[in-house]
Amino acid sequence: MGNRTLDTFMNDPIAYFDASITKMHMIPRDGLESLQREAMRTRVAQHRASIEMVKNLADRLGIDEVQEFDDVVPLLFAHTAFKSYPAALLDNKRFDLMTKWLQKHTPHDLSQVPTEGLDSIEAWIEALDEHSNLRPITSSGTTGTISIIPKDKHGGHYAMRLWRLFLFQEFFKEPKEEDLNPVVDVIWPQFADGKLGHLRMVGLLKNEFTGNDESRFHPLYNASINTDLMFLASKLRAAASRGELDRVKIDPKLLEKKEEFEQLEANRPAELQRFFERMTNELRGKRVFMTGTYALMHEIAKEGLARGVKHVFAKNSAILTGGGLKGHVLPENYMETIKEFMGVDRIQEGYGMSEISAMHWACPEDKYHVLPFVIPYLLDPETSEALPRKGKQTGRAAFYDFVNVSHWGGIISGDEITIDWDSKCPCGLESVAIEHSIMRYSEKEGVEDDRITCNATQEVHDEAVNFMREYEG
Amino acid sequence: MSAFRIPMFIRGEIIEEDWVPFGARNGAGGFEAPDPAKYVDRLPLATPMDLADLYEISFDEIVDVLVELGKALDPDKNAHVQEAMKAAAIAAPYPPAMLRNSYTTMPYVFDRDAIVEIAESRIGVDYLEGWVSRTLRDGREIRVRAFGARALHVPAGNGGLVSAITIIRNAITRSDAIVKVPSNDPMTAIAIAKTLADVAPNHPVTKHLAVAYWKGGDTRIEEHLYRPEHVEKIVAWGGFASVKHVTRYIQPGLELISLDPKRSATIIGPEAFESEETLDEVAVRAATDIGMANQEACASARVIYLLCGTDADGIERANRIGERIYQKLVGLPEHLSTKPRYFDRDLRDHLEGSRMTEDFYRVIGGEEDEGAVIVSQMDEPVDYAPMLSGRVANIVPVDDIKKVTDAVNAYTQTVGIYPESLKRELRNQLPLFGAQRLTSLGYACHVTSAMPQDAIEPVRRMCKWIVDEECDPERVFPLWQTPAL
Repeated sequence: MGNRTLDTFMNDPIAYFDASITKMHMIPRDGLESLQREAMRTRVAQHRASIEMVKNLADRLGIDEVQEFDDVVPLLFAHTAFKSYPAALLDNKRFDLMTKWLQKHTPHDLSQVPTEGLDSIEAWIEALDEHSNLRPITSSGTTGTISIIPKDKHGGHYAMRLWRLFLFQEFFKEPKEEDLNPVVDVIWPQFADGKLGHLRMVGLLKNEFTGNDESRFHPLYNASINTDLMFLASKLRAAASRGELDRVKIDPKLLEKKEEFEQLEANRPAELQRFFERMTNELRGKRVFMTGTYALMHEIAKEGLARGVKHVFAKNSAILTGGGLKGHVLPENYMETIKEFMGVDRIQEGYGMSEISAMHWACPEDKYHVLPFVIPYLLDPETSEALPRKGKQTGRAAFYDFVNVSHWGGIISGDEITIDWDSKCPCGLESVAIEHSIMRYSEKEGVEDDRITCNATQEVHDEAVNFMREYEG
Repeated sequence: MSAFRIPMFIRGEIIEEDWVPFGARNGAGGFEAPDPAKYVDRLPLATPMDLADLYEISFDEIVDVLVELGKALDPDKNAHVQEAMKAAAIAAPYPPAMLRNSYTTMPYVFDRDAIVEIAESRIGVDYLEGWVSRTLRDGREIRVRAFGARALHVPAGNGGLVSAITIIRNAITRSDAIVKVPSNDPMTAIAIAKTLADVAPNHPVTKHLAVAYWKGGDTRIEEHLYRPEHVEKIVAWGGFASVKHVTRYIQPGLELISLDPKRSATIIGPEAFESEETLDEVAVRAATDIGMANQEACASARVIYLLCGTDADGIERANRIGERIYQKLVGLPEHLSTKPRYFDRDLRDHLEGSRMTEDFYRVIGGEEDEGAVIVSQMDEPVDYAPMLSGRVANIVPVDDIKKVTDAVNAYTQTVGIYPESLKRELRNQLPLFGAQRLTSLGYACHVTSAMPQDAIEPVRRMCKWIVDEECDPERVFPLWQTPAL
C-alpha cells in the first residue's frame, strides 16, 4: 500500500496510487476534489512565495491565498508567459538578462549559472543544465521568439515514469511485472536530440524504456536539432510578416555551421532508408515503443505500406500519438493506416502541452481522462472567466498542475475542449474526461475568413508563414 | 440563422433571390447573398463598346450625379443606409457610435468641391474631358486623354468609406466597376448603389456599377471573372490573402493596382518634453493617431518611437508620456474611439506576458481590454508588434534616429511625426526605407482622397492614358526619307 498522505499525493502520485493507472482514475470525485483542493492550496502558497512572476501577479491582483478551484483562475499564465522576454536579448547574447528573466519563473536557484562568454542559446541551456536543477525545454514560436520553459531534472524523469505506466498498463487490469518494468526498443521517428520539448525526452526515454541500452534506441535521424537554428527560423517567420526579410541578420557563429546543416539535410534520404530497413528487419515482431504526432505517424505508416511493409511490430507494442493535427489534413482512415503498418490493435492517444508536465491519456471511449494531480478548467474564450464546473461545457482549456514544482503549474491553453462534468465516461473510469474533439482556436478562426483590411496585422503574419512554407517547399 | 442578406447590384438592377448562405466571423450568425455562380456571367460588361455611353456625358454631369447621390445618403432618411448600418453593427468591428459617425460623414465625401479636387489634383479635368495637346521637341503634336477602363475592385472593409471612394473614383474616370463586397463591410457598397439607382435610374454612371459578394478566393467566380476579356484592371486593397488571391490571375492585359497591407509608425522628438502644455498636446495627438477608428486602419499608430534616450532619465520620460497618452486615449470621445468591440485573444495573452515582465516592459492599462500603452524599457519594440490592435500601442525609447529607420520598411505607410522640424529632417530619408506618407502627429487617420496613396497614384492608374499623335512630314522627319549610311 502506498503512503496515503497529502504530501505523497502532491509530490509522488505514482506512489500514492500504487503505480496503478486504474487507481489513479477510479478515486471517487468528491474525495479527489478535496485532496486536489488541499494540494492546490499548498502548492500555490509555496509558489506564491518562491516564484517571482507568481508573487508579482498575485500581489497586483491582491490574491494572498486560494481556497476554491476557481480562485486560481486569475493566476493562470497564458502560454506567452514563457516567451515574454525580448527576443533582442537572444540576438544580443544577453544570457545574463535571460537568466535573470528565467529566474523569475522558477524556484530553483540559478545564481550559480555562469553566463559570461556564452555565444549561443544552445550553450546557455547547457550551462543551465550543468549548473542548476533545471533542464529547460524550448519550443519554436511564430512571433520571433521561442518559449523557454524551466523544467527540472526530477520533473522530466517523473513524467517519463508516468508515461511508462500508461503505455504498458491497461485500465481495469492489475499491472503485471512485465507491465511495470518493460524493456523495449524505442522507435523515435524524429531527430535524435535537441532542446525542443519533445527532443528533450530522448535521454529520459532511453533511461525509462530501453534500460539505458543505446542499441535499443532507433531514431529516424541521428542528428540533433540546433536551438539557435530554430530561433533563426522563428525570426525569419516574424521578419517575413513584417516585410523585413532583407534585414534579418544571421549570427556568424550559426552561419559557420551552414554546411553542417546542409549535410544533415543531404543525409536524410539515406537515413530514412536505413530507418525503414531497421524497422522491417531488425525490429520485426519485436515489442517496441513508438511515438509521434498523428501526421508524422501517418506519414511513416504510408511510407512503410508503400514499401510493401506491414504488421511490423509485436501486438503488445506501445504506440502513442497525439499532438493535434497542426494544420495537416489527414484522410479519414488514417488510424487504420497506422494500425495496418504497425500491426497493433491498440494505438494510444494523449493530450498534453509543454507548459504542464501531465499528459491526459485516452480511454477506450476515446476520451482524454484528466490525471488526478491536474485540475482542469474551461474558460470563456473571450473573457477568460471560469465556466461552471457542471453540465456539458465547451471552452478554452486551462489546467493547474500541482505535481510540477520547477515552474508555475497554471496555464491557459489555446485549445477549445469540451467536458461533460456531470456524467461518468461510459468506459467506467471515475475521472473527468475531455471529449476527443480538440481544436486550436487559431485553426478554428482561420476558416471562412475573407475579410479584407488594409492593415497588416497578425493575419498577414500567419499568411506569410504559410507563404514561406510554400516557398521552401 | 443568417443575420442579414447582401443583395447583388448589376448595373441598376437589384438582385434579391437565389440566396445562399455564407460563413460567419466572430461567431456572428453569417449572412446570405444571391448565388454568385449563377450571376457571374452577368457581372462583366458584355463588350468594351458599352463604355461609350460614358463619353456622351460631360464631367460636370457625372459630378452632378455624384453630388445628388451624396445628398441622398443621409443616414437619417435613407433606408438603404440604415440597413447597411444594421448589417455593419453585426459584421464590422466598430461599436454603434463610431459606425454612426462614419455613415454621417459619408455624404461629405460626395461634396462637389471634394470630388473636383480629386479629379483636378490627381488627373486633371482637362484630361478626363478631352484631348490635351502638347508639341514635343521632334515636332510632333501629341494629344493625351485619360480613358476609363473595365475594372474590378476589391475594397478594404475596415475603412468604412473605401466603398464610397471606389464608386467616386470609378465615375470620374469614366470606368466600369465590379465591386467585390468585403465581408467586414457587407452593405455599404450596396446601399450606395441602390441609392444611385434611386437618384439616377438608367444613367450611365449607374449602369457602370456592379456590386456583388462572393467568398474571396472562390475560383468558380474568380477564374471566370478575372480575365482580360472581362476586366482590364483589378484594384485590390488590403490583406496579404486578398492581394495574393488576385496575383495568380495577373497576365498581359490584366493589370493589378495593389494597395498592399500596410502598417504605420510614429516618431516623436525630444521637443515633446519642452513644457507640460506641449507634453499634453503631443499626448493627445498621439492618442488620436492610436485611437481613431479603434486602430483598425492601416494608418493607425502602433509603434511610437520616442527620441528621448535610453538612460534612466530617458526611460522615465518614456513612462511619463506613456501614462499621459494612455489617459488621453481612454478619454477620446466615443464617436472617434471606444473600447473595442473585439479584443484579440493572442494579443491579450502577449500583453499579460509583458505585464509580468516589468524589467523590460511597463504596461499601462489594458486590464479591461479598453486599450493599453506598453512602454518598452529598452530600445526594442515588443516582439508581437505586428499584432498591435484594439487601441494598444508600444512606446519605444531610442537614442538616435538610426533605430527608427531600421523599423521603416516596404510595409510602412504613414509615419506621424512631431515636431515639424523633425519631419523635414527625415523626409528625404524615410522614403528610401519604404515610408509612403509623412504627416503631422495627430493626423495619421485624417486622410483625404486627393493625395497619392500608398506611394502610387491609384486614380491615375485606373485610367488608360491614350495618345493621339499628329506628325506632319514638314516638321517631323519622315523615316521613309532616311538616307542609307
